[in-house]
Amino acid sequence: MTWIVKNLWLIPALPILAAGLSSLAPQRCRRFSATLAIGALGFAFLVSLCAFAHTLQPGGHDGAKEVFNFEWLQFAAGDPGSLKLGWVLDPLTAVMLVMVTFVGTLIFIYSVGYMAHDENFTRFFTFLSLFAGAMLGVVIANSLLLLFISWELVGLTSYLLIGFWYHKPSAAAAAKKAFITTRIGDVAFLLGMVWLYSQTGTLLFYDQGHGCMEQSALAKMVVQTTSVGMAVSTAIGLLIFLGAMGKSGQVPLHVWLPDAMEGPTPVSALIHAATMVAAGVFLVARVYPLMGVHAEGAAVETTALQVVTWIGAITAVFAASIAVAQNDIKRILAYSTVSQLGFMMMGLGVGGVAVGMFHLITHAFFKSLLFMGAGSVIHGCHEEQDIRKMGGIRKYMPVTFLTYAVGMMALAGFPLFFSGFWSKDAIIHAAYGWSVSHVPFYLGVAGAFLTAFYMTRQMALVFWGDYRGHGSPPPPHSKLPQLIKVKSELKPHESSRPMTVPLVILAVCAVGLSIIGTPAWPWFQSFLGSHHGEGFTYEVIKIMVASTLVVFLGLGLGLWCYGRPPRQTAEEPDVLVKLPLGMHTWFARKYGVDELYEMTVIRFNAWFARACAFLDEWIWGGAVALISYALLGLAWVNRAFDELVINLGFDQGCERVSRGGQFMARLQDGRIQNYLRVIGVALVLLVLFLIWGGAK
Amino acid sequence: MNYSQLLKFAAPETIVVLTALAVLAVDLTSLRGLEPRLRFIIGGMLACVGCAAAAVWMIVMPEQANAFGGMLVVDPLTQLVKVALLGLTVFTILISIESNFTQHVGEYLALILLATVGMMFLVSAEDLLMVFVSLEMTSLSLYILTAFNKRNIKSAEAALKYFLFGGMSAAFLLFGLSLIYGLSGATNLGGIAAALQGRKLDPLLVVALVMVVIGFGFKVAAVPFHLWAPDAYEGAPTPSAAFIASGSKVASFFIFAKVMIIGFAGATGSGAFGYYESGWVPMIAIVAVLSMVLGNLGAIVQGNVKRLLAYSAIAHGGYALLGMLANSQQGVAALVYYVITYGMTTLGAFGVVAVVEQATGDSKLSDLSGLCRRAPVVSVCMLVFMLSLAGIPPLAGFFGKFYVFLAAAAAVKNLGLLWLVVFAIAMSAVSLYYYLQVMKRIYISDPPAGAPRMRVAWLTQATLAVLAVSVVLLGCFPGWLVGLIERALASLAP
Repeated sequence: MTWIVKNLWLIPALPILAAGLSSLAPQRCRRFSATLAIGALGFAFLVSLCAFAHTLQPGGHDGAKEVFNFEWLQFAAGDPGSLKLGWVLDPLTAVMLVMVTFVGTLIFIYSVGYMAHDENFTRFFTFLSLFAGAMLGVVIANSLLLLFISWELVGLTSYLLIGFWYHKPSAAAAAKKAFITTRIGDVAFLLGMVWLYSQTGTLLFYDQGHGCMEQSALAKMVVQTTSVGMAVSTAIGLLIFLGAMGKSGQVPLHVWLPDAMEGPTPVSALIHAATMVAAGVFLVARVYPLMGVHAEGAAVETTALQVVTWIGAITAVFAASIAVAQNDIKRILAYSTVSQLGFMMMGLGVGGVAVGMFHLITHAFFKSLLFMGAGSVIHGCHEEQDIRKMGGIRKYMPVTFLTYAVGMMALAGFPLFFSGFWSKDAIIHAAYGWSVSHVPFYLGVAGAFLTAFYMTRQMALVFWGDYRGHGSPPPPHSKLPQLIKVKSELKPHESSRPMTVPLVILAVCAVGLSIIGTPAWPWFQSFLGSHHGEGFTYEVIKIMVASTLVVFLGLGLGLWCYGRPPRQTAEEPDVLVKLPLGMHTWFARKYGVDELYEMTVIRFNAWFARACAFLDEWIWGGAVALISYALLGLAWVNRAFDELVINLGFDQGCERVSRGGQFMARLQDGRIQNYLRVIGVALVLLVLFLIWGGAK
Repeated sequence: MNYSQLLKFAAPETIVVLTALAVLAVDLTSLRGLEPRLRFIIGGMLACVGCAAAAVWMIVMPEQANAFGGMLVVDPLTQLVKVALLGLTVFTILISIESNFTQHVGEYLALILLATVGMMFLVSAEDLLMVFVSLEMTSLSLYILTAFNKRNIKSAEAALKYFLFGGMSAAFLLFGLSLIYGLSGATNLGGIAAALQGRKLDPLLVVALVMVVIGFGFKVAAVPFHLWAPDAYEGAPTPSAAFIASGSKVASFFIFAKVMIIGFAGATGSGAFGYYESGWVPMIAIVAVLSMVLGNLGAIVQGNVKRLLAYSAIAHGGYALLGMLANSQQGVAALVYYVITYGMTTLGAFGVVAVVEQATGDSKLSDLSGLCRRAPVVSVCMLVFMLSLAGIPPLAGFFGKFYVFLAAAAAVKNLGLLWLVVFAIAMSAVSLYYYLQVMKRIYISDPPAGAPRMRVAWLTQATLAVLAVSVVLLGCFPGWLVGLIERALASLAP
């Protein structure tokens, strides 16, 4: 085992250490905590690169998976009673490590600029570092338990960061919502984990043939059936997938992700676009052997993967259609993230690990780019998030505009030069070839069309036309210099260097990443080891042309609706309002899912909570109060016994005796007499007790 | 067996005896003129070095021997307990160093060491005579240590009560032991067990059994033989009380369990729910229940921290007895883990009380008010100790209770002792109340107006911190100590 495998723990440990140190730093040590966080994650990035380079070496090792396992605790005798943890280094881990540390480092740097005026700067970096460490823990875990622990830590930090501005009620509520919604999925995840443990006796993924993702364990689980006739492996896979759905915002557990945008924008970029929400996808990729295992002679697609595909496809279209009618710049991106996560899930379901993971990686880059660009816009427009009140920003913020355009092209899947095109195309192509149904393919195409449309809408409203914020300021070339001076403070301005440099780097990546996964040279796919591209065959080109047409259709329609002419005022209604059947209202109201939950789950929960509170207060509380009073009473009796019977009698004796002038002599004697009498009584009672018992 | 061999087996004890003499001699000859604090430091370091040497001796040269038919038994388990005892002694000495209750430093330290020697022999004894002699050696030293604060009349009073009570108990014990000798014709525990095998539980044996339990019950402060404890803890100088509560408890519980489990193997009886059978197990069960009830309820209404710790010690004695009446290897392992960790925790708690006492002059609960602002490090240590005593995970106290309860529950088929475990858990919940009372005083109450920050010597602070960290570590990694104990026990199994 090489140095890098043994010391893989360094990668999550460094940011966690940084978090620990900066949590101890006083609030004013801003530079210290930022340097520490960036340094730690940067170093973790270097180690990740080493790990990545290690996996690139032509492997003689089994399945290119190197694991390091150790015993955590022994709770019962024997091997099943020991709980083992460990980490694994394989291409999947390596790719994720590099992505998370690289994007993370850039976002940390960006945060220095974005959070420069926040008084809780130190706390922010503490949480960010803790998050990064936990996320990296998810990535390297070779044990479902370690993964779960890190997973929960990630959830916790997400909660802390969404609610970072906790004085805003909406942020506090959003944090709570995110935490509770993901927790619903996590309960299922935990159940699946426990079930898996009871079936296989281990939670290690890979353990020289004894792990739960290896052939012997899988073969055992696939032949057993549950009471509803489903294979145990499928049932466990679905439970774990529920956890992934919560974290990755799949329908119907997507409601928290758009609200999570209440957090600071770097958080949205890091956690709610690039890394944490992708953890669900990563989890499915990690347990893919479990999801994909099927019994001898059964159909090729397992139930678990079919569910993954359908959920993913529905999410992709569902969220994209909502994004069409949103007006908050970050909310559009949030729904777009949900939609793209749906694409990834679909990719995993129809095409395997490599297809889904490729989109995850490219998406991480361009979506964090978009979020950071959005953050830059929001910053430049004085914390304005409504795209109807923007417009013409490209004149004021050229760097942001250009990089944002690159991100938008990549997300929309503009052909050939942008990474998003290739990764999305791979998914659509895989969906086309799916043996079960063609519906996911059509859903995917519809999703791609909507994506292109709403991104064009956003670009048009934000960057084109004239600036519509703060009433209507004069155009930049006004002849009233006095007025300009007053108004210039209200005008958008380009962001500072720490914010724009990461944007540029990410933009380069969003373009450059496309070369690693094209059908002509599917390096990424073969690196993840599950896919061998077939080059530009006729079918590939057919799909590519089709999806290109769809994308152009979306772009064109978007331009036709919103660019011709550009919106003039912030108040005028949206073009789509004219759509029949009140569709726009449905989109804008997010299909009423929040309201539905409000009326069903939350109302029931509130009712139930009130009922419980009543029970608690009057029935259980009464019982507890009764018991505690009884105990207190006993204690008082005990004390009274001690004071009145033993002490008081003695005290009175003492008083009488002290008058007689023999205080000291009788002091010890009197009291100890009582004590010793107790021994005698105890002797008699115990002897009688034992003899009575013996005689019985 | 010749004397050189005997000396080799008894080398740790010999080292400690020599250390005691050396401390006494050095203090009498060359340190007389110095100020007490300096004498305490020099003498204390000397004593610590001696204890450490004895412990290192046992760790480096593990022995296995049984001299003179059980007079001195050396095996991995007794050596482990002895090392723990020496460790507790060292910590006791370290928290004594800053105290100022006596001018007779040499005598004080020598007595602690002699008490330790008594405990070490006690742990090694498997013969009634040796048990009694070493028990008396320990007790006599402890009586004097209790009386050591000659300026305080309460100290003398406490010591006298302790002595009288102890003397009476010892008389019972001796009476019981002689009855047993009369019944069995043996003084060796194994021999007694063999002689009593198959014998019906006749009244004479019952009386002997009860008397032996009285004798040991006094040492472990189990109800109804606990009456000395609150007075003695309150009146004794705090380091002495700490020693009585820690080291002496460890040794006493160990020998108590040994005598009962080995010596009375034929008269166990049963305390399982619905399967009552006369014997020592049901008797201990009654004693344990009484201890838990009286200790926990008594502690609730105490206003003095030392008295509170005394009642808490009674309650903990009750829990520990569960490990004993499990009457199994697992039970013994749990018991040893429990008393060692309990000893460390309570030692730390007394150390904190000593600090407070030195600053405020008393150890009432109200003297702890606002301690977290007056001595933050010490307060954090106290937090750890109190939570560990209350049995909050992941501290050592939690795992101690957990193992003891587990052992008791698993001891009898069909969870026969579950009633006892459920009872103990309920009582343990009650105990949280008074431990949190202490924490509330420290962390929530305001310090008295104008009270300055306490000046706590760094040595005391370091000692307490080491104890607190050990309590946390032993709680986080209980496997280490439990593994040691289980390996030692396994090596004994035939």
